Amino acid sequence: MKYMIIIYGNQELWESFSAEEFQKEIAAQDAFNRRYAETGELLGAYGNADASQTKIVRVRDGVPAVTDGPYLETKEYMASWYLIDVESEERALEIAAEIPFASYRQVEVWPILHEAADSE
Amino acid sequence: MTGQRLEDLLRPLAPQVLAALLRRYGQFDGCEDAVQEALLAAAVQWPREGVPDNPYGWLVTVATRRFTDWARSDAARRRREDAELLATPPSMFVAAPADHPPAGEHDDTLTLLFLCCHPSLSPASQVALTLRAVGGLGTAEIARAFLVPEPTMAQRISRAKQTIRKAGARFAPPPPGGRADRLRAVLHVLYLMFNEGYTTSSGDALQRPDLTAEALRLTRLLHRLLPDEPEVAGLLALMLLTEARRDARTRDDGSIVPLDEQDRGRWDRGLIAEGVELVTATLARTRELGPFQLQAAIAAVHDEAPSADETDWPQILALYELLERVAPNPMATLNKAVAVAMVRGAQAGLEIVDGLEADGRMARHHRLHAVRAHLLERAGRPQEARAAFRGAARLATNLPEQRYLRLRAAASGENQGLSGGSR
Repeated sequence: MKYMIIIYGNQELWESFSAEEFQKEIAAQDAFNRRYAETGELLGAYGNADASQTKIVRVRDGVPAVTDGPYLETKEYMASWYLIDVESEERALEIAAEIPFASYRQVEVWPILHEAADSE
Repeated sequence: MTGQRLEDLLRPLAPQVLAALLRRYGQFDGCEDAVQEALLAAAVQWPREGVPDNPYGWLVTVATRRFTDWARSDAARRRREDAELLATPPSMFVAAPADHPPAGEHDDTLTLLFLCCHPSLSPASQVALTLRAVGGLGTAEIARAFLVPEPTMAQRISRAKQTIRKAGARFAPPPPGGRADRLRAVLHVLYLMFNEGYTTSSGDALQRPDLTAEALRLTRLLHRLLPDEPEVAGLLALMLLTEARRDARTRDDGSIVPLDEQDRGRWDRGLIAEGVELVTATLARTRELGPFQLQAAIAAVHDEAPSADETDWPQILALYELLERVAPNPMATLNKAVAVAMVRGAQAGLEIVDGLEADGRMARHHRLHAVRAHLLERAGRPQEARAAFRGAARLATNLPEQRYLRLRAAASGENQGLSGGSR
């Protein structure tokens, strides 16, 4: 079963880390990534670029319009996400709890839709 | 020689070649890697140079050479085994078979299946390892089948092999006392493999290998090896009777067609005949009824009905009652609720669903809410049916099923507007 684990945050939150704390968090994060890549459960870990780099695309009457946005400086936005493939929801939650950020704030765990028939 | 013909030739040989190496050297991980390399070498060389006179002997020789090369390069760590291994010329055991693998081939494949379904492994690892070691699929193909990156799958397979080694598992039949449990594990793995491949979209675009076909091939093989095991026959019959409906199960756009709306002209009569014969013969002489035999019997009743309306529901109900006794399981009870509704009316079925929901184990399972929705629809309560379909859709994690349930939710609203809920 595949799950997406999401970290939300904003600029203010990132800036609240001291340089030392930030280094520590990165090291803990890298260790997490290595550990679960080795178990074959982590399919990918991705960090989104800053919200200021985000563009919005709308197509109206077949014409795409591209604008800057969505101006989320104060609101929290999806900042990083992980794709895992595990035996059970229980295991997904166990791994999510190992993400360093979960000890600091919280992470969201979303089941991903699949096509295999559900076994009983 | 076409790629397909080459595969048909190579893949049945894979477990036999692996067994030959395992009998000699016993190291599952090293032998398995060596066989994979030999299979790759054959896939490259045979189309170019022609198939050797003795494909089995060729593969054993190449795999043995790979294994000894690997063992030599690893000499510092493994000096003792090395000496023993190099003292045994590979020709000693490839000389024995002329054209055919040695007698005992059957037991070898079976022993290999038991090894791949070792209890120290998770079900997902058991499936992956079985596909590779017994099915002869490459890591890249297995990764595509499960929609994960190839390095991820390579990592899983390598860990699974390490786990087997650490558990001290050997290439030997399971102890007599543990055999029944191990066979159940093998059947469960084949069943999971079949379900994994039982996708609604054909997956051509992604070129996923057909796991359903592979599960069928391996289950046929197992049935040939163990013709007197009723649950093996039951599982094979269940797969045949399910596979028979494959083409009718989805529309061209991949959407689900429920059983009662399927075009029965598109069911595969050959597979149905084979499945019915198998399950009938098995039930006639079985001394222990098992869940696969009963599920196959239920599938057979559905497959033999000329139309949905002519389905023999009393018989299906009786079979579900038996299944509930033999292998109590809330999913069996839920399925029984449908049969009860067909025999005694929607309300009787709904009462069983309510009971199951109160029991808690299935309260958050989408199928419980989907069954309730269908029964509410039959009972002429479209408003409630619509809410139940919506609730089911929210709980479903299977994409085609979720789309189907959303469609049904939308449609039950429309029906209500048009016809006031009458059918």
